[in-house]
Amino acid sequence: MIDRVWQHRVFYALVLPFAALTGVFGLWPIVLSIQVSFTQSATALGSSPVYVGFANYAVVLADPIFLASLTRTLTYTALAVAANLAFALGMAVLIDSPRLARGSMLFRLALFLPVVTPDVAGYVVWRWLFDRSFGPINAALELAGLPAFGGLSSTHTVTTAVLIAELWHHAGFYMTIFLANLAMRDKALEEAAQIDGANAWQIWWRVILPQLRPAIVVNLVYATVQFLKTFTVVVVMTKGGPADSTNFISYYAYQLFDQGRYGEATAMASILFAIVIVLSLGAFRLTDRAGAR
Amino acid sequence: MADRLVTVAMYAVASLVSILFLYPYWWMCLGALRTPRQVLGDPLRLWPEVWDFSIFWDIGRIGGVDFWVYAWNSALITTAATLLGVAVTAMGAYALARKPDLPGFRWLRFGFLITIMYPYMLLVIPVYVVVFKLGLLGSYAGIILFLALGPIQFFLFDQFFRTLPREVIEAAICDGASEVQILVRIILPMAMPVAATVTLITFLITWSQWFPILVISRSPDTFTLPVALLSMNGELGSNVRGIMALAVVTTLPVAVLFILAQRRVMAGIATGAVKG
Repeated sequence: MIDRVWQHRVFYALVLPFAALTGVFGLWPIVLSIQVSFTQSATALGSSPVYVGFANYAVVLADPIFLASLTRTLTYTALAVAANLAFALGMAVLIDSPRLARGSMLFRLALFLPVVTPDVAGYVVWRWLFDRSFGPINAALELAGLPAFGGLSSTHTVTTAVLIAELWHHAGFYMTIFLANLAMRDKALEEAAQIDGANAWQIWWRVILPQLRPAIVVNLVYATVQFLKTFTVVVVMTKGGPADSTNFISYYAYQLFDQGRYGEATAMASILFAIVIVLSLGAFRLTDRAGAR
Repeated sequence: MADRLVTVAMYAVASLVSILFLYPYWWMCLGALRTPRQVLGDPLRLWPEVWDFSIFWDIGRIGGVDFWVYAWNSALITTAATLLGVAVTAMGAYALARKPDLPGFRWLRFGFLITIMYPYMLLVIPVYVVVFKLGLLGSYAGIILFLALGPIQFFLFDQFFRTLPREVIEAAICDGASEVQILVRIILPMAMPVAATVTLITFLITWSQWFPILVISRSPDTFTLPVALLSMNGELGSNVRGIMALAVVTTLPVAVLFILAQRRVMAGIATGAVKG
């Protein structure tokens, strides 16, 4: 084996910096995080940590705030994934239409610009757009004679407000993937279906949608992982409030860290990690099946 | 006639959505140009009362540190992390794609995939401990090294190197070329376009980073523009006008870069994502 390594030393030299960065800034922190999750918070970062087994996990799983936060995170993720993908698919089909051939690049640009806009900057602006006295949203609703939108200050509307801001930031990404897939589809199939007398709805449902399966799977994985980790929007716009209604897991775990409750926070990180892995593996199996077809 | 109407309706929907997506940018500029009193009096106004750019001079000092320090930090950290990340990822992805079966290579690929699945913001806290142990807390080096690696960069290079025609490399080996010669003479020129795309995308992604920088920093001396914006946003009695001006400055460089290279960026992100 040593001979083989020496023979291919060029490749080991090439891979070394990559391996070092992955190890030091990726794997080491993860191992450290899992290790800390088994220690007593007060001693966790000291020179002689006290190991307490699964005690932190027991505390976390019995914590009603954590369980509420987990349920909230999963509900929000489901809502956000559905809203983002439906919107992105709708816009992709619209923009891809030959009727919009002129100007379609402008539409793409407008919807993708928020993806590359620093999220902090985008959410700071949205925070003020939703503001009840400064914001144009409520001013416009008032002008139209519609009831005011509670925005970030009401427990009933804050999830919608956060969802809108996140959709603005992320949907262009999913739309771009749908558009790439639409561009690769076999257009001859649609002509054939048309000759066979299929109507527009049948063509869309039976011919186009099945060909979009790869983009749907990729977007589903990305969006699920993305929204499970929802964090920046909470830090910038709501701080978890009002009354905990946007206190998602990442934010809750971060708050515990801030309070020095390292053991519980890292236990939460491990639990969220496990959820992400299970969901990703499930989706990868979906992808494999899609690839095998 | 009905056909024309459908086209008009479709243009109307696409235009309306585009305008709604762009409106926050316009409001951000207006928020920087108008005083809070003017905004409060008429939040819907689409044009500033006067073109008063003085706020961009007034944000010169935020949080006791010169604004130019943040701008410089953003430029320095983003450029350094991008160049380092692209070089390291390109070499690593090339080796992993050329010789996937060498001892340890499968483990490395697996380890990298695990790393990108870990909830990012929760990874940052143990990274604090790691950076502390390395003695790099509060240093540019700690921030740059952590920001260098990213999933899309790796997947783009991985995708490219895996689809390289094997025959070209085999022909070179038959001609007696060494691996170093193959890399420099054949691979490098071919990889230039993909490297340009990855550089662009990495720059855009890194510019937006804030949480690792906040955590690894010891003082505002190493803050970048998004971090400064966040800390200004968190202050009591917020200075809306200053916040909007800083948001404009934070957004402008990446917005311009993106508009100049839109096709490359969008195509690159789609390729990198589909691969991952």
